[in-house]
Amino acid sequence: MSGPADVERLLERALAPVEPPADLASRLRAALAALGESAVGELEAWERAAMRAPRRWARVAVALAAGAGALVRGRRRGD
Amino acid sequence: MEDRGLAKAELDERFSALYRAHLRDVYSYAHYRVGHHQDAEDLTEQTFLQAYRHFERALAQADGRPLRPWLIRIAHNLAANHYRDRSRRPAAALDDETPAAAAHDVEALVSGREELALVLDGVMGLPDDRREALIMRFALGMDNREIARALGRSEGATKVLIHRAIRQLEGVVARDGGGSA
Repeated sequence: MSGPADVERLLERALAPVEPPADLASRLRAALAALGESAVGELEAWERAAMRAPRRWARVAVALAAGAGALVRGRRRGD
Repeated sequence: MEDRGLAKAELDERFSALYRAHLRDVYSYAHYRVGHHQDAEDLTEQTFLQAYRHFERALAQADGRPLRPWLIRIAHNLAANHYRDRSRRPAAALDDETPAAAAHDVEALVSGREELALVLDGVMGLPDDRREALIMRFALGMDNREIARALGRSEGATKVLIHRAIRQLEGVVARDGGGSA
């Protein structure tokens, strides 16, 4: 071996790309599919929970009341 | 709801294309990075799962540029965390199924096996950043720009890094090979 060019040639051979095992590809596809389904499932479940949870209703009611109060105060000042 | 569903379907399709295009790249990187078959599989799997979670944002930020450096950067960070947690470095000797075995003829294997083992040992003994850069260049065929993005460096700094890595490896091989390699 005499120089960088030789080392580069050896590196090309020593660090050749490696094919992944076939079972890795199928396992990954299954994991990704499950992740995708769970993401959609979580989102839908969250939306349903948000509509049903009484705590969230209370927050919405408080927010509406605060908004209405501000509106009324604004109108009074305007008068 | 329908728009979100369509968008998700399109995202999934694009991610699937990314996965098909770069599974071998990520696995090759992981293989040389961790030096162990099972750990390489785990690292590849974790890389794609994490990539999937952040894919939409990555697409927006990439602005049309290739996503391979982003994928490799995820693998790089995961590998770094793995070694930080376990206080260990990649094994110097890779698994028996060396990459050379898959790609070269018998004569080359017999005559070049020692040389290749010497070079691989030399790569594994390099400082982390130099080793990573060589893996990206030679195992994945990444150019300086891609490697720079994956390592979070400038192209100029990356070029210097690779040059120094090769020079260092040259010295290691000359020393350990007794000049015969």
